[in-house]
Amino acid sequence: MRQGTLGIFLIAPALALLAAVLAWPLMSAIILSFQDVRVVGSVGPFVGWANYAKVLADPVFWNAAWLSLVWVAANAALQTVLALAAALILHQKFPGVRIARTWIILSWIVPTVVVVMIWRWLFSTSGGVVNPGLIGLGVIDRPMGFFATPWMAFAMLVLINSWRWFPFITLMMLAGLTRIPTDLIEAARVDGAGPWKRFTRITWPLLAPTLTVLLVIGTLLSFNVFDVIWLMTSGGPAGGTRTLPVLIFETAFRGYRISEAATIAVLATALLMAFAIFATRKLALSGDER
Amino acid sequence: MTRPYRWPNRWAVLLWAGLAVIGGLVALPFWFVLTGSVKAPQEIIARVPTLFPQSFTTQHYDKLLAASDYAAYMANSVIVAVASTVLTLLLAIPAGYAFFRLTFRGRDALYRVILLAYAFPSIVVLVPLFAMFARWGLIDSLLALVLVNTAFALPFAIWMLRAFFAQIPPEIEEAARMDGGPPLTILRRILLPLIAPGVGAVAVFAFVTSWTEYVFASVMILSDARRTVPVGFSGIIGQYQVDWGLLLAGASLAILPVVVVFALIGRWFVSGLTEGAVK
Repeated sequence: MRQGTLGIFLIAPALALLAAVLAWPLMSAIILSFQDVRVVGSVGPFVGWANYAKVLADPVFWNAAWLSLVWVAANAALQTVLALAAALILHQKFPGVRIARTWIILSWIVPTVVVVMIWRWLFSTSGGVVNPGLIGLGVIDRPMGFFATPWMAFAMLVLINSWRWFPFITLMMLAGLTRIPTDLIEAARVDGAGPWKRFTRITWPLLAPTLTVLLVIGTLLSFNVFDVIWLMTSGGPAGGTRTLPVLIFETAFRGYRISEAATIAVLATALLMAFAIFATRKLALSGDER
Repeated sequence: MTRPYRWPNRWAVLLWAGLAVIGGLVALPFWFVLTGSVKAPQEIIARVPTLFPQSFTTQHYDKLLAASDYAAYMANSVIVAVASTVLTLLLAIPAGYAFFRLTFRGRDALYRVILLAYAFPSIVVLVPLFAMFARWGLIDSLLALVLVNTAFALPFAIWMLRAFFAQIPPEIEEAARMDGGPPLTILRRILLPLIAPGVGAVAVFAFVTSWTEYVFASVMILSDARRTVPVGFSGIIGQYQVDWGLLLAGASLAILPVVVVFALIGRWFVSGLTEGAVK
């Protein structure tokens, strides 16, 4: 058998599944966005760009797009900072480092429903841990609603989502750190450079490409987050946590406006694809230079 | 002779302080959940939270298992997660090998397209997929979840296995080919054992992806008896609002299986991420 034939033969099953479960539905979503379908499975007339005109004129869409942007930026920043600190620590040699490296991922392997339940309980106004703790310390005198105002809820969700994802980024950052040749660091040490100087002059510049890659990955991962937000606040209060994925779900399954949801989805996908392609181009170029 | 480098004291203090903060951030919430699930109700709502339980009871677990189909949810989740893991490996190993070793037209373009799978909101495919599965009679079936979970784990799995194949010295494969084995036999007998850590890493990823999946399971599954843990548990949360003991017991049980899997092969996943997949 020729290599080409064998290659296709080995890849075909995986490709068939991806085509059926991802590619074909994605195409359907694009078609749906040019029709007027309201309930799943029904047939609607072709309406051209009408859905796009409607969505783009809707302040709710722009509000969600803005929230998504803030969401992505806040999460990428917080995750990366937490992950960098954790990776630098786990890169050192100390007793128990292997165990620490394995179990740091704990928050990522737990179902999101459980994550949400844990945090809702910890910050609950009826019982919980944080409110009684703060009252016990005399910081506040009655329970405080951590999810009461839109911006508080938004900030809490950023915290929870970054808490869930930063260990994953940490491990990938450790990969970048282990790739830095130890003799470079050793040489600097012999020359009398302290830990801070070794970090700023060697580790940081050599880690920068990895950080860029991880910022891109973090951006993609954060943009698509839906379940944590939906389970915690359902997009509330007052739409303060309604990012684009939440808006898509709400429009489709609460508002029964399937075509409109598909339109928002196509716009969100186009945005993200453009970013992904732009970012991978950039990265591929800088990768060649290295 | 190398003497282990001694950190200046203030840096050592910083290291341990940082480790304590990170460790507390990750572990403390879980500690409160696990210990909370065995505390007596009065202790759970005590004015001052206790770090170590002062009471011990299994009443929350008893109530959870008696009042809900939790055992069935667990069984469904395990079935879906194991099936998704096996299917992911069956599809990703040959594909990862082909993407690395075999040259054919459009290979690199295809590889890039597959990785784009993570560049769109998964929720986009939910509606069309629901309509399609309805036509195929897959709504309310665990098979639907296996197909979805596998599809979402596949691109990462292929990416990681390809990186592992890339680390095998070409001479080993060359020697095997000289001995005249057919490619698939070489893959199974010689290459697969060499990339065992990669296979372990991918298995963990697929299992976790499936175990934690909520959105598709909540839409595709209709009957209570076929629910997975995330969906079943979210129903229980809605029903038992602030019965924290019961909810903490449910959370503990939902954490248990992944922790077991991770205790067994988690270090492969970690080394796969930190050492294996060199971009």
